[in-house]
Formats: sequence, structure tokens, C-alpha cells
Amino acid sequence: MGLLTQLVRGLVRGADRVSPFTSKRGSRSHNKGRGAKKLGVLTRNKKFILVKEMVPEFVVPDLTGFKLRPYVSYRAPEGSEPPVTAKQLFDQVVAPRIEKDVKDGTFDPSNLEKYGFEPTQEGKLFQLFPKNYVR
Amino acid sequence: MRLSALLSAARPRLPPGYRHGMWPPDSMAARLRNPPGQRRRKVFVEPVAKDDWKVFKGDTVQVLAGKDAGKQGLVTQVVQARNWVVVEGLNTHCRYVNRTAKYSGTYITSEAPLLLSQICLVDPEDRKPTEVEWRYTEEGERVRVSLRSGRILPVPPQPRQDGIVPEQWIGEWDGSEGWGDVAGDTGGQHCPLTCTDGPKDTSEEDALAKTYRPSLKTFEEEIMDAMGIVETRRPKKSYWY
Repeated sequence: MGLLTQLVRGLVRGADRVSPFTSKRGSRSHNKGRGAKKLGVLTRNKKFILVKEMVPEFVVPDLTGFKLRPYVSYRAPEGSEPPVTAKQLFDQVVAPRIEKDVKDGTFDPSNLEKYGFEPTQEGKLFQLFPKNYVR
Repeated sequence: MRLSALLSAARPRLPPGYRHGMWPPDSMAARLRNPPGQRRRKVFVEPVAKDDWKVFKGDTVQVLAGKDAGKQGLVTQVVQARNWVVVEGLNTHCRYVNRTAKYSGTYITSEAPLLLSQICLVDPEDRKPTEVEWRYTEEGERVRVSLRSGRILPVPPQPRQDGIVPEQWIGEWDGSEGWGDVAGDTGGQHCPLTCTDGPKDTSEEDALAKTYRPSLKTFEEEIMDAMGIVETRRPKKSYWY
């Protein structure tokens, strides 16, 4: 629409020089991709070997009986909850267990792994620091 | 409907010579009167900064000049680009609408816009016209203060840009019920499809229900446990400096 006004006003004449040159334009021999990542390795014999780990796989749970839907009704009030802090998580999950053990008398300060303490992040698939997962 | 509302909210800039009227800029009337390439004489308007604007929809104002000078009314429409304010029932004239070849048209009264200089805001308790200024309260809130009495003029709740009134929104609606209850309930929207939840809408109760159970596992670990995925391979160690 803005381009048309410019054309009609006679300020710019000719083709549209600003729009991106995609794979839909150009001749049929002009081979251009759209930025897809390579999912494997190209060998010296120009054969492409697919690496299965690089192929994305969607892990979708069974959504029968799931109540949340893409959109929210206009009646629901706006607002958000503050994000959960580490202290809150500790108070909700770990503190009750420690209190129970202290009352029973079975609290062992050298065995904190049973409450979720992790001395190192080595050997874990999803390490918290340095964070090696996207979310 | 929501996608078109999103697209219209992200509308492109208006052309520099656009002549504003009482219509919304993305309506048929606007497109008719502002075809692309049209150049009209410029309308000169007293410049008022956007932060300095004092009159809003739903305010009571007193008309100072014109046919209905001295009367007070509610503001129904505000066009900041031309310093216009349309007051309900005041400064009216009569005209014919919906004329056809055979039918002369319905004779209706329509309000003409008033300029800011012909309008004055009204003190809420006195109900007398006052000058108003923007000031800050002790808490830091920006409010309109009447200069004569010092009372605060609260800004009336502004309607949403898409015209939806959440109080009149109906939740789940079966097609089995008649349209009678819907048409009377909602103000402008009559079709139940435009004022009820659709199949892709979460209901209010489901949206507000708290189902979070705190745990020490990360999101990915919980999903792996739930789906029964076992991953014993670990990525090779790599170093960066």
C-alpha cells in the first residue's frame, strides 16, 4: 500500500528495490534456501550423511482431557504471578522433608543428597550451571 | 476475528496528508475519503502534546460556544489529530441517511465535533467549568487536577481498542439457545460469535486454576519421566575460553 502511494506520487519509479530477494524470485536455476540448518555432514565424496541426533523430534504428550486451549476468554482478569524463586521452591519442597526428618531424629547433615542436593553437575543430562538446555 | 484485530492493531503509518474525520482510520468511510494519492489542503490545528491531552471519552464537559453554549454533556468521541471532541446530544444538526433512488432517507440528528477551545472540563462535585492541569500525587500517580478547587478529576475507564466489553462477554455458548438473550445483553455486538468463547478459548475457571506442583526436577526431566524416555548417553565435554 505504501509502495503504491509512492508510485502514484511519482517520487520513485521502477521496480521495488527494497523487498528481500527470496527463493521465490530469480530464475529457475537460481537455487536459494530459506535458512534451514544442515542435519548432517557432507563427506569428501559429496555424499551427505544424516546424523539422527540432529533431526528434531517433537515429544508430544497425550492431550486428552487437557483443559487449557490456545486462547483465553476475555472474561479472565489480567495479571500474572511473580516468578518462583529458589527460596520459595526450597520452602515448598525441601524444607518440609528436612523438618520431618529432624523431628524423627533421622537428619544426617552429611547425607543431603536425599533432599535433592547435588554436589556436582557432572554426569547429569540437564546441567543447571553451565546451563545446557534451552528452556 | 482476533487475528484480524491483531493485524489492524499493527496498522501501518497514515500517509502525511491524511485528512482525519469522525470515522476510524481503518474503515470504509476513511478509505473512500482518503484514496491513495489524494492531496488536500492542510487543516491547521493548535498543537497539543500527546501527554498534555486532558479530555477523554466518558468525561463530562461544558460547551462554551455555539448553538448549545452553556450545556453539559458526555464525550462520546475524541479525535486528537484535529483537536475534536464530540459531545452526546449537543451541537447537533439534522440530516438524511441511507438515501436510495426511491427512498428519501431517514432524518436523524447527528452531533458535530467541537474544538478543544469550545469545550471546558467540569468539576465533578461542583459541576461548574474549571481549568484543568496534569499533576502528580504523593504516590507518583499522574492525575488531572482542577485549578479552581484542587479536586482530582478521575480519568473515566477507557473502552478497549477492539470494542470488546469484558463484562458483557459470555462464556461458553451452545448453539441450541436462541439469540434473544444475547442481543439484549451485549451493547454493540449482536452476533453471539463475536461475544462468546469459541472452541479454542480457555474458560475463565480453567485459565485461573492453579495446577503447578513445585518439584526439584527441571521441565525436561519431568517430561522424560512422564513419557518414559530413558537417555543414558551424555554429551562429550567441550571447553571454551
